[in-house]
Amino acid sequence: MKPYRYERAEDISGAISALADEPEGAFLGGGTNIVDLMKLGVSTPDVLVDVRRLMSDDIEETEDGGVRIGAAVPNSDLAADPTIRTRYPALSEALLSGASGQLRNMATTGGNFLQRTRCVYFQDTTTPCNKREPGSGCSALDGYNKNHAILGSSEHCVATHPSDMAVAMAALDAFVVTHGPNGERRIPIEELHRLPGDEPERDTILEHGELITAVELPPMGFSSNSKYRKVRERASYAFALVSVAAAMDVEDGVVRDVRVALGGVAHKPWRATKVEEALRGEPVSEENFRAAAEIELSEAEPLSENAYKVPLARNVMVRTLSDLSGEGR
Amino acid sequence: MKAESAPTRERPKILPSNPGKIGESRPRADGVPKVRGEFEYSSDLRVDGMLWGATLRSPHPHANIWSIDTAEAEDMPGVYSVLTHEDVPGRKVYGMEVPDQPVLAWEHVRYEGEPIAVVAADHPETARRALEKIAVDYEILDPITDPAEALREDTPKLHLSGNVLKEVHIKHGDVEATADVVVSGEYEVGMQDQAFLGPESGMAVPDGRGGVDLFISTQWLHIDRDQIAESLDLPPEDVRLTLSGVGGAFGGREDLSMQIHSCMLALDAGRPVKMMYNREESFYGHVHRHPCKMEYEHGADREGNLVYVKARLVFDGGAYASSSNAVCLNAGTFACGPYDVPNARIDSYMLYTNNPPCGAMRGFGAVQVCFAHETQMDKLANKLGMNPVELRLKNAMKPGDKFPFGQTVPEPAPVAEILERVENMPMPEEEEIIGRDLRRLPGGVSNVTRGEGVKRGVGYAVGYKNIGFSAGFDDYSTASIALSVEDGEPIIYVHTAAAEVGQGGVTLQAQISRTELGVENVAVLPADTRIGSAGSTSASRQSYVTGGAVKMACEAVRGKVFERVREEFGDEFGGELSMEDGSVLAGNRRIVALAELLENGGIEETVVYRHKPTYPLDENGQGDAHFQFAFAAHRAVVEVDEELGLVRVVEIATAQDVGKIMNPQSLEGQIQGGVAQGLGLALLEEIQMKDGKVQNASFTDYLLPTILDMPPVRMEVLELADPDSPYGLKGVGEPPTISSTPAIVAALRDATGRELNRVPVKPEQLAGIEGEPIRRAPQPGSRGPVADDLGSEA
Repeated sequence: MKPYRYERAEDISGAISALADEPEGAFLGGGTNIVDLMKLGVSTPDVLVDVRRLMSDDIEETEDGGVRIGAAVPNSDLAADPTIRTRYPALSEALLSGASGQLRNMATTGGNFLQRTRCVYFQDTTTPCNKREPGSGCSALDGYNKNHAILGSSEHCVATHPSDMAVAMAALDAFVVTHGPNGERRIPIEELHRLPGDEPERDTILEHGELITAVELPPMGFSSNSKYRKVRERASYAFALVSVAAAMDVEDGVVRDVRVALGGVAHKPWRATKVEEALRGEPVSEENFRAAAEIELSEAEPLSENAYKVPLARNVMVRTLSDLSGEGR
Repeated sequence: MKAESAPTRERPKILPSNPGKIGESRPRADGVPKVRGEFEYSSDLRVDGMLWGATLRSPHPHANIWSIDTAEAEDMPGVYSVLTHEDVPGRKVYGMEVPDQPVLAWEHVRYEGEPIAVVAADHPETARRALEKIAVDYEILDPITDPAEALREDTPKLHLSGNVLKEVHIKHGDVEATADVVVSGEYEVGMQDQAFLGPESGMAVPDGRGGVDLFISTQWLHIDRDQIAESLDLPPEDVRLTLSGVGGAFGGREDLSMQIHSCMLALDAGRPVKMMYNREESFYGHVHRHPCKMEYEHGADREGNLVYVKARLVFDGGAYASSSNAVCLNAGTFACGPYDVPNARIDSYMLYTNNPPCGAMRGFGAVQVCFAHETQMDKLANKLGMNPVELRLKNAMKPGDKFPFGQTVPEPAPVAEILERVENMPMPEEEEIIGRDLRRLPGGVSNVTRGEGVKRGVGYAVGYKNIGFSAGFDDYSTASIALSVEDGEPIIYVHTAAAEVGQGGVTLQAQISRTELGVENVAVLPADTRIGSAGSTSASRQSYVTGGAVKMACEAVRGKVFERVREEFGDEFGGELSMEDGSVLAGNRRIVALAELLENGGIEETVVYRHKPTYPLDENGQGDAHFQFAFAAHRAVVEVDEELGLVRVVEIATAQDVGKIMNPQSLEGQIQGGVAQGLGLALLEEIQMKDGKVQNASFTDYLLPTILDMPPVRMEVLELADPDSPYGLKGVGEPPTISSTPAIVAALRDATGRELNRVPVKPEQLAGIEGEPIRRAPQPGSRGPVADDLGSEA
């Protein structure tokens, strides 16, 4: 591991300014991902500014009926929170399907969004990887790519985003609140993560030294009718092959509104807007769900080993939507 | 007063063993310390002033080495020693059967991760940075990664001897036999890892007189010592090994890893040197289970009697020999399964490639062929319209039959009985899907199904394997038993070189001693090379061979005790002498307490125990190659979510003949652990290779079953004594792994109707969602993991 300096700031603005002159510095939250990457030599920060104690670890209901989650709330606390479990069950389910109990106790809500990809080439410093070393090439394109992206990838990167939580957040229209050198902003999850394009080294639109301080879940009348389903190869402690978070508002057998996001298929939590558009106002039926899923997946570009993800994503979407609509078999 | 919760670390109390004789369940001596985190593994070793060793490994699976420049590394502060092949004092290669593997590479590297140089420094990080300063000039070569390609005449040779490491041809009966009903198939087994939890580690301590002591986790101290001494150019007595805490082995510790390296560094630096691989390095630091492709043809008459089996097995041995020769032979001899097969033609090939060396792993060649022969039996049953268990029963081998390799099937060989038992065990209840706990649905708490598309399937398999070392190998173990009196109480000291790798051998040795000598206190001494070899803790052999040695040494001690009794008390006792409760008895009458009899000196006996000899196979693959066989049958019940390709193994039922149950709890653990490893091969575990490079060298990417994936195991254990073995026991460690895999896959076929000719089975195969890839054209600037340009780099 490269030597680094560990710092604690007095407050959030102190933390932000601590990184201002440290282009190779990084914030430290729960440390469940960055410390691993430092051990592997993938991340090589000069300085780690520990921000965990500076941020709220509260979950509070807001005046407009939404929920504000402090960035330091551990994943396990967020998953267990009664408000989250009843009003945003997809989020609770997503958190519980990620990692292990020990990791969820350490991992923070803010940090969860910023996990790096689990692409084996990104983690292996002896292989080319455009995300780790821009311009070096993508080993996964023609390599071991069964876990890689089928949507929105580029010739430079086919990695997937590993978070379960962020997929649920995307379906629930969440926002992150950030503080940075240029002040505060409120970013929809949909815009937080990027597609790789020709800058795969950038996972998010956050600027250097910009810190996620909170997450806001807006009120959504039907978010209590939401689910997260994750397909993985073993019963626990594995990343998603494909996952889906969805929420649905059904009245008289018709979809009034719906949110769908996919995990394990793209460089970011993939908001399935085409599914949503296709279903709004349509009667609930397995055929309609299947047709909508296929529209979204018609743009899939599978690699040599991951074509299975297309029908898998379709099947798990159909099943989740059927379940939410009350039309489950 | 010291708070009870304060973290303390003390040496594990492994030596004073638990009470208990054979046949009784006694907790393992190392069990509680391991669970409490107090057990001292070899990775916990440390002494003041020790240095840390690290290994420079080849990033290329195949390359020429033009130069190695260590000057800059040597100049780094804190670096004490930098060694290459030039510094190997003795034999520059090692290997258990064929010494073909360089201690440190020169001129060529033949697999990714091959060691090139080693460094000792004052801190692991200093050592790691020193490795970065070593400049190696490689000429990268195309790797040979497909055994079929390695077999072709026109393929470049990876070793002077050629690319064929071993071939075994078995011709049994009429090799041209034909039959009315024929089924054939091609099968494949992926590269499984032993995945022991304690990575390779040890500490070498120079003795100041040119010799060295090595504290090490291994499976076989003496074969390590002999190879180390050869390469260090030292007499064996100057290389002393002591077993350190071993965190699992499963075959992966039979070959050397850092043994010679750490000794070289310690002798060069004149300081103790500790080496410890991390998880990633561990994947490069030990051999794996051989990947294998198998072509089979079975012929039977219309009643289902087997007429012939033809099989062609092609194993990927990887870059160096390891124990591949024996695996090739084993696979050949067991290729037909535990059936009476009148005619057979088996061709088993082991090839050198530029993949990681493969070698011993639990099941040792029997695992691969069992997957194939059991799939073939199901296929045949299907074609005949027969129940698959009925077909197996009809053809089950029995004592007096001939194995395809000519040996006579010995007593007992309860193939039919174990099959009938698993068939007759109660089936797990088929639970209503609505309202089920998620954990009892495919996908578990991943929440993916409410039971839609879930199908149940049942599959059977039976397998067998030899116990111990075969084909003429001089297989023996050494034990010393010292009976003396301490503080007025008799005590037994047991000393062997048998490696405790988690199998329960230490506890078993104490149980045997206690049983034989009727003395409560038993201390099992640390295994080391001060005593003769115990052979390897592998091939399910230690209970038999070292158990036999301990029993025999106890008998020798008992003989001496009785002699002393006769000297002191004459020989008219009116009853046979025996030892019980610390005394010598005649019939039920106590003659003398051992505390009294041995007051003026204890008794110590050292013996070497051998089982009956075995013989190599002749040119037709015929011979009495094996001395004991163990049999197990498995029934798997699975549920498959056909839309998502997810599996829940509902239950494994098994019947196994163990000859004699020595420690019921320990046996249960072996059976459950073996099933878990078989389940891993069926559904999850595979080292992914691309162009000779390992793609998933971590436990995040190499998926092991978790406790949530593991079903309950229903078991019935038979005790049909082997007349030749100590107590009639049979080795038990491997059979649970052999037929559990094909039983699970058979159940998956039953549930889905799919062929499934390769393990591990992936979700996409089960759900029929493999789909056609849309292959992108290779992008400029995007190289695969292996550079295809021939260039050199520093």
